Amino acid sequence: MTPRRGGGRARGLIALMAVAGLTLSACGGGDAADEPADEPATQDTTADTEAPAEEPVTEETLVEETIAPEEDLDPVFGGTLRYAIEADVDGLNPTRNSISAPGYVILNAVFDNLFVYDENDVAVPFLAESGTPSDDFKDWTVKLREGVTFHDGTPLNADALLVNFSSLRSSALPALAINPFFPPLNADGTDPGIEKVDDLTVIYHLLDPQAYFPAYLTGQLGMVGSPTWLEAALVDPTLNQSPVGTGPFVFSGRSEDSVTTVVRNEDWWYGDVYLDAVEFMPVTDADLRVELMLNAEIDALHTTHFPSIDTLEAEGFKQVIDETGEESFGMINMAVPPFDDIRAREALALAAPIEQYQLLINEGLGTRANGRFVPSSPNHNADVVQVGDDIAAAQPLVAEYCAERGDETNPLLATTTCTDGKINMELQWAGPSVVQSRIADILEAAWSEAGFNVTRQEIPQDDHIAQVAVGAYNVVTWRQFGAPEPAVDNVWLLCRTIGAISLNWPRNCDEARDEVLLAAAASTDPAERASLYQEAEQMIADAYTYIFFNHTRWSNAFADNVYGICDRMLPDGAHARCYSGGAGDLSTVWMQ
Amino acid sequence: MSEPSAETGVTVPMAAEPGRVQRRIGIGFWLSMSWIVLVVLAAVLAPWLPLKDPDANYIVTGTRPPYGPSWTHPFGTDQDARDLFSRVIFGARTSLIIGFVAISFGMIIGGGLGIIAGYYRKWVDRTISVVMLILLSFPALILAILITSLIDRGLFTISVTLGILAIAPVGRLARAATLSFAEREFVTAARSLGASNGRIIVRELLPNVVIPMAALALLGMAVAIVAEGGLAFLGLSIEKGFTWGKLILYGAGARDLERAPWISFAPILVLFITVLALNYAGDRIRDYFDVKEISL
Amino acid sequence: MNYLFQRLAMAVMLLLAVSALTFGGMNLLGDPLFNILGPVAADTSNPTSVAKIDAAKEKYYLDRPLPERYVRWLGDMVTGDFGVQFSSTGEPPVTNLLKERTPRTFQLLVLAQFMATAISIPWALIAAARVRRPTDRISTVTSFLLIALPNFALGIILKYLLGIKLGWFPLTYTASDPFFSRLHQLILPALTIALPAAAVYQRLLRTDLVTTLQEDFILMARSKGVPRRRVLVRHALRPSLFSFITVFGINTGALIGGSLIVETIFRVPGLGSAIVEAILREDFPVVLAIVMIATTTFVLVNIAVDLLYSVLDPRVRR
Repeated sequence: MTPRRGGGRARGLIALMAVAGLTLSACGGGDAADEPADEPATQDTTADTEAPAEEPVTEETLVEETIAPEEDLDPVFGGTLRYAIEADVDGLNPTRNSISAPGYVILNAVFDNLFVYDENDVAVPFLAESGTPSDDFKDWTVKLREGVTFHDGTPLNADALLVNFSSLRSSALPALAINPFFPPLNADGTDPGIEKVDDLTVIYHLLDPQAYFPAYLTGQLGMVGSPTWLEAALVDPTLNQSPVGTGPFVFSGRSEDSVTTVVRNEDWWYGDVYLDAVEFMPVTDADLRVELMLNAEIDALHTTHFPSIDTLEAEGFKQVIDETGEESFGMINMAVPPFDDIRAREALALAAPIEQYQLLINEGLGTRANGRFVPSSPNHNADVVQVGDDIAAAQPLVAEYCAERGDETNPLLATTTCTDGKINMELQWAGPSVVQSRIADILEAAWSEAGFNVTRQEIPQDDHIAQVAVGAYNVVTWRQFGAPEPAVDNVWLLCRTIGAISLNWPRNCDEARDEVLLAAAASTDPAERASLYQEAEQMIADAYTYIFFNHTRWSNAFADNVYGICDRMLPDGAHARCYSGGAGDLSTVWMQ
Repeated sequence: MSEPSAETGVTVPMAAEPGRVQRRIGIGFWLSMSWIVLVVLAAVLAPWLPLKDPDANYIVTGTRPPYGPSWTHPFGTDQDARDLFSRVIFGARTSLIIGFVAISFGMIIGGGLGIIAGYYRKWVDRTISVVMLILLSFPALILAILITSLIDRGLFTISVTLGILAIAPVGRLARAATLSFAEREFVTAARSLGASNGRIIVRELLPNVVIPMAALALLGMAVAIVAEGGLAFLGLSIEKGFTWGKLILYGAGARDLERAPWISFAPILVLFITVLALNYAGDRIRDYFDVKEISL
Repeated sequence: MNYLFQRLAMAVMLLLAVSALTFGGMNLLGDPLFNILGPVAADTSNPTSVAKIDAAKEKYYLDRPLPERYVRWLGDMVTGDFGVQFSSTGEPPVTNLLKERTPRTFQLLVLAQFMATAISIPWALIAAARVRRPTDRISTVTSFLLIALPNFALGIILKYLLGIKLGWFPLTYTASDPFFSRLHQLILPALTIALPAAAVYQRLLRTDLVTTLQEDFILMARSKGVPRRRVLVRHALRPSLFSFITVFGINTGALIGGSLIVETIFRVPGLGSAIVEAILREDFPVVLAIVMIATTTFVLVNIAVDLLYSVLDPRVRR
């Protein structure tokens, strides 16, 4: 029996991920090629419809380019768009299930968000009419648009928001990501986190000053479902598979692991919807998605697989590319030996074969990451460099560790921390996945040379996330961060998210870092904020809990006859940010 | 015998024509055995053969792997520029160990139970037959993934799991063979001379049961090797190291298949020839010793 | 009648044994609570989590002894209730999944058996007609090769040649497509199952045909001047079908196993891929349900084959 504390597998629990408005991402994956992995949110997007993708795009290159020349064509109604997503989702209830990138692709069609990002990554009201902070940024008053109804005819009002919030707060896992930011429930079961003011207005009460709270409302927390449906789903959880929102498309049917269908909402409050229907098909093999696109079996796909993006570009497909989202990295659990010792962590990071990884796994097409932010971000700290490829420097650290602490116990493997001067460790990843196994091969080869005895552990995605959540791991490959608003990513870093179940997966509590991160979340001065995030970047690097491999590059690709990509204009006249973390908006899309 | 037949434990009659038993074992048999010996030798001696390191990345600067077959890499390389020729040979080590351990386990447990059932008959036979029947009613592959996913994915677990699957078919054959010999003159003679049951089983029955079992052992080894490939395909083969099944899986993605079919096809070819050789040799042994009357 | 009764009693006993072993094995080796709740199961310090743990224990009877849980599960299953899937978020009834997936696997297997029959009968007739001549030798070698080829290898080869290189068949299965498109999508996976099965059937049938062709009534027909081809199809085929029918039936069980891999290669969301996923996730109710379906089918088919056999052939009537 392998020492897998906790035991078996967790179903459904991807939940942890993507939680609530915090579009979280996290996922056991590298970027990879053939497999699933869930992801969540992201950052800026760049888009260029017509033409092949541009290189790594940055925050500046935004949406203007998306308004491509083709737009002089008049949209036509009709057509069914087939969209290949990288994995299926457990459920489609934004208040009960954790939503990953493929989940957002589907849910964006069915639900509207209270706020959405505009092209400058500012969260602006959408289903909400306005959002107003108190002076200390701890209370946010959100006023809803009038006259909107859900697909089932229920009106959108403050009570609907209360039902959504309470369903989320009582959920098993999505709640973990929002609870750290709101006061705990009162003894009588009432919720001090939200307060109804009038029929269309509520106030969210936060624990800390959050100058960017609307960013949370662009994700799971801000997706509003029909209260009638949500209440019914509490009684009959199978309803989590058939969502009811206010969005441009109405859920029509779902056959798990094969296809989820949505059809046009004829009276969408925000205007016309062109497509008759969209079929979302999970295809976990990234190469197969491209193959299906080439065979015209599908009309759209999303992918993070570099070679796929390259092929799609060569074939001239329309692509929207975004590299500001998550990062792929190795992650280390510092709660248990051997990696509670910084020398062991530093040795692991020094020995990491980062060049090899770029060359073989990313086929030389990716961009190395040194931290959470792409170089074009104001928050990027140019002084922070990800160490790696230095086995010679790692070896003495391993020797030193083993000499001093080699007879302690690695609880995960139930062995001593060192055997014959080599550190015993487990490397865990989500599988089965060929790419993930190849990543493990590469890491294992380099780490063995540096003096680590690597035990491999490949387990299903859900289980993998559950094991990481309860701290039953040494080292994993992972993918997360990259929310357009960095404050949203604090949930992965703060001390308060450490517990029996942690979202601070490495269990690295650093009070000083918390202070910096919370100060940045409360700061409205861009310069101060940027310098705070840069400071935090250094602190993250110094702890050696993440070994950054590369920035994830998300591409959303479309067939030639698909138009109107990224055309949504916001109520205030600005252009909406089009794609985020692999998910975007299909309300303006049409086909010929 | 075919893979499906092994799964159900039904032995499919071979093509040998009725009334015409070939008494020569034939050149095909020797060819098959030579291949098997070659593969086994290569696997055993792999570390001492002048092979490339199966785990090293032979990247040619400025180019992107995978590389096609060439003089330096007769089978080409995989996506990580690892030499497939040496990987196939090193993969044979694990695949053959799994096949060998599995069938040995099946032979010892299944053969033992079968002989005991066939010799003692009565309730012993009935009890053992019921156990076999239960084992046979389990869809084999489902049982295998169930066990490996509940326990672990080590070499030992996987070998023994596949061995458990072999118990019932081997047991049935051993029982049938024993039944057919138990009433023969030499056994009755031994019994009348006062030989103990144990002695009769070991001295008189075992040597006669061994030949049909040997034929089945070769076939069973082929089935076990293939079954490991099936597990690998579902991502449930051994965690550390690689087998033929895992090598095939590494190249089975749509794009790799299209641009670099050799990644999958090289191990498929070697696996196929080996399975073919084992099947053919097993068939020939069975026909040669004319054991078909005791097949089920 | 007595014989039928005996066979049925045996079948029930077998099913009980298989279900008890699966149920016991999964519950003893796995950790059902963790599978239901995920990390929450480990969070015993938090009162909300503890409440959830207690609720799950009560709901799934995890605090009861194993035999009691087995009997409860058995009672439910007999009345057609397979319980709910392990999931912290959905808990859909297992029957939902079965209703959706069973027809796909059923279609796949029916198509495969149909193809196997359609290929093997003419093939065997041709081989038997030219027995021991080059055509027959080539056919024997071909069938030998096909039988030795593992199904995952055959699947990859067919996918490569017919799917990728020639582009004749789609690479994926889409549940929402119209019936005939889905049938088209099932051809490659069905062929992967059908080819080796056809080879097995062909060998059996050919052997039996060769034997039958030496019987007196055939020689008689031939001497009366009935054309060779007509003798083969009209007179020899039917009496030669016994072992074909037996193996055809028994093979259905083996094909269920093969569908696990084939469904995975060709991405058909049927029972095969469902059980693989369920085993990985340790979604016990789903695993149990599919194991029971597969075993029941297997056992029933065997009984049916036995009965058919004794009806067709008076010599084995008991």
